[in-house]
Amino acid sequence: MIEILEKIEGEAEVEYSFVSGEIKDVVVRFPHYRGIEEILQGRAALDALVIAPRVCGICGHAHLQAAAMALERAFGCKISKKAKIIREITRFAEIIQNHIKWFYLVIFAQLHIPYDFRKVHQAIVLANRLIALFAGQSPHSSYAIAGGVTCDITHVELLQAKAIVQEIEEILFDLLGEFDEKQLSKDLAKLFEALKSKNLLQIGKSLDRFITLSEDSVVKNVKILHGKRRKTSLRFVQERAFEGSYAKGVLYRGKFYETGPLARMMQMDLPFIKRLHRRYKDSITTRIFARIYEAKLLLQIIAEHLDQIDLNEPSYIPCKVVDGMGYVSIEAARGSLIHKVAIKNSKIANYSIITPTQWNLSNGTKENPSLLQKAIIGLRDREKANLVFRSFDICSVCTTH
Amino acid sequence: MNRENLRALFTAKSARVDTNKGEKYYQELYKRCRARLDELAKMPAFTKISIKEVLEDEGVSRRDFLKWASAVTAMLMLPSSFTPLVAEAAELMNRVPVIWIELQDCAGNSEALLRSDGPKIDEIILEIISLEFHETLMAAAGHQAEKQLEDAMEHFAGKYLLFVEGSIPVGRGKEWCTIGASGETFEEHLKRIASKAAAIVAVGTCATFGGVPAANPNPTGAVGVMDVINDKPIINIPACPANPANMVGVILHFVLTGQIPELDSLLRPKFAFGYRIHDNCERRAHFDAGEFVEEWGDEGAQNNFCLYKMGCKGPMTFNNCSIVRYNESVNWPIGSGHGCIGCSEPGFWDKYAYERPMADANIKMAPGGGVEKSVDEFGLGLLTAAGVGIAIHAAASAVAGKKEGDDK
Repeated sequence: MIEILEKIEGEAEVEYSFVSGEIKDVVVRFPHYRGIEEILQGRAALDALVIAPRVCGICGHAHLQAAAMALERAFGCKISKKAKIIREITRFAEIIQNHIKWFYLVIFAQLHIPYDFRKVHQAIVLANRLIALFAGQSPHSSYAIAGGVTCDITHVELLQAKAIVQEIEEILFDLLGEFDEKQLSKDLAKLFEALKSKNLLQIGKSLDRFITLSEDSVVKNVKILHGKRRKTSLRFVQERAFEGSYAKGVLYRGKFYETGPLARMMQMDLPFIKRLHRRYKDSITTRIFARIYEAKLLLQIIAEHLDQIDLNEPSYIPCKVVDGMGYVSIEAARGSLIHKVAIKNSKIANYSIITPTQWNLSNGTKENPSLLQKAIIGLRDREKANLVFRSFDICSVCTTH
Repeated sequence: MNRENLRALFTAKSARVDTNKGEKYYQELYKRCRARLDELAKMPAFTKISIKEVLEDEGVSRRDFLKWASAVTAMLMLPSSFTPLVAEAAELMNRVPVIWIELQDCAGNSEALLRSDGPKIDEIILEIISLEFHETLMAAAGHQAEKQLEDAMEHFAGKYLLFVEGSIPVGRGKEWCTIGASGETFEEHLKRIASKAAAIVAVGTCATFGGVPAANPNPTGAVGVMDVINDKPIINIPACPANPANMVGVILHFVLTGQIPELDSLLRPKFAFGYRIHDNCERRAHFDAGEFVEEWGDEGAQNNFCLYKMGCKGPMTFNNCSIVRYNESVNWPIGSGHGCIGCSEPGFWDKYAYERPMADANIKMAPGGGVEKSVDEFGLGLLTAAGVGIAIHAAASAVAGKKEGDDK
């Protein structure tokens, strides 16, 4: 029985194998291909800044920054603190609008919970306006370059940005209320009640292993295995091809890990998330709440960042094209995104991209099941399985690069 | 290159869009639109929500709505007397069904639509237009979605506007990209849905010209809609992503006149692609004054000087970004200090890509490529001429600038 899912961001094929009413196996295939890595080969180094972000219209901003970082690493360039802060602001804004969109347009829609579309839409529009203020437009901007950012903001933009952040904060509070697991209100309460009444609170438990591969002002590059934290290194990332799919599976030292908002929130010692995790482990409940919690958290960090920007710092530090290797990771909406570039004779000799969805939606084996397989195998209901599938916020657009 | 030649280059008559076609023309057009709207008003609406309700809900005044309508009228290059008609057309948008499909894409154009702008245009798009079937936006999935699509196609046969996002692999990648349980290729999928459409709107550079997937070596053999479909009217709205304002503009035009807007030879609506970015750029004055950013982050960059020398493709790119801008008009790429990358031009992915000023781009003069060419004929010929002309101007201005500085 083949179930085809086309919800949000392209298409993935999910094949459930039922044996006497129970899902015994699940396989994910991404049947599309564009060949972006092939296209990048042999081009002028800086072309990566135009081509690579166009892998994805949903998280193109993270791709742009990953490309810029990979080039900076290859060229041996540094960027100013100001550029770093501005890049984080726009990247976080992209994550925020993504999470709001997913929370309502995917999860609420699937659970048939009514919501205030106009307010939701307004929050999405505002978050994108925030990106555009610095980056020129959203989606698909080009303001991040090797060496920094091109925008030269003034106090006027800072004031505008602060006003936007405040407006989003107000809308989010209107929609979600406080993040207090004892007293959930508004849409958070509605979501919890819906999960509870449909007996879904405990489904979707997976490997309970988490990973992030990059470091920024929110996360560190750590993995959580059996509750223990260890530093991670890109050296141990392995890719594995799968028959019939254009997306490779990804492992860390032979093991599958969950990447994304839950992985990020798990390493931050947040009481709200910790309590949820204690009760519901890494089920869809924790996964969904962690994701929307992250939207709120990142909004606060953006507000702090806006106060920290020193306008006197340079936006750009001179950066010349030289040969070298750049292997970097950055946190995108769905988790750790990896770009790897090799520059030879000022041209791209090789470019490879690993997207977050590859981590979560790999195909494992019986002995070593992937995140998705572990979360879905054993369920008896296709609807439930689809909800678990979507709780990972798949992006097949990205994955079929 | 001297100033006279430059002037000739930028004011060449045939390169202009005809914004005044004479009173008689507009009187007849007005009559036609009037008849069309009367006819539409008699038809049943496809969605239950009416613009009046939405406006009332939102507390938007009639005045604000008409303000928006007059802005759209101007964008569509119609005389202001058409404003009431445009407002009426917006109210009748729910008489025109829209089907939206995604092929070899990144979903960036649907994203742009979702993040769209304007005083309450977002509501108009998302609630008034009947997006009958949009693979990303709709709630259904899989088999259920395919059924919905079939239903919409049957029910609205010959009436719907088909929006296509993404390129179509017809080469080696044909078998690599399939849709649904049937395993239909993108090409078959598109042809099937296109067969019953009133017209097709190719949205974004991938659907129009192949886009990034078609970049050398074009691993999948990606092409645009117009390379696959040849028996239907096609409207191209290139750019990466396409500006939602132009998508709305095309729909409104269709509602208003029952016809597709005037197109250039690349099938782009002239109202949006009749001018170059450069013609209406906010930094144009700096170009004319010979003030350029010479290096990222320099004093010129801090003072919003012209980005031509940093590889801005504004002088070679036809689009209305410099007027309409993005994300509720808050900004646009040049506003953020980065030059235009020419993302709405065919071949931008190979011809322009990154920061290569035209003078360094090694594009040869096409034989017989003069400057007296209209938008319709705009090709490598004019592009080269303009590019060379501008490059010489940029170089000369830098020398001139230096001299002035030395004198002090």
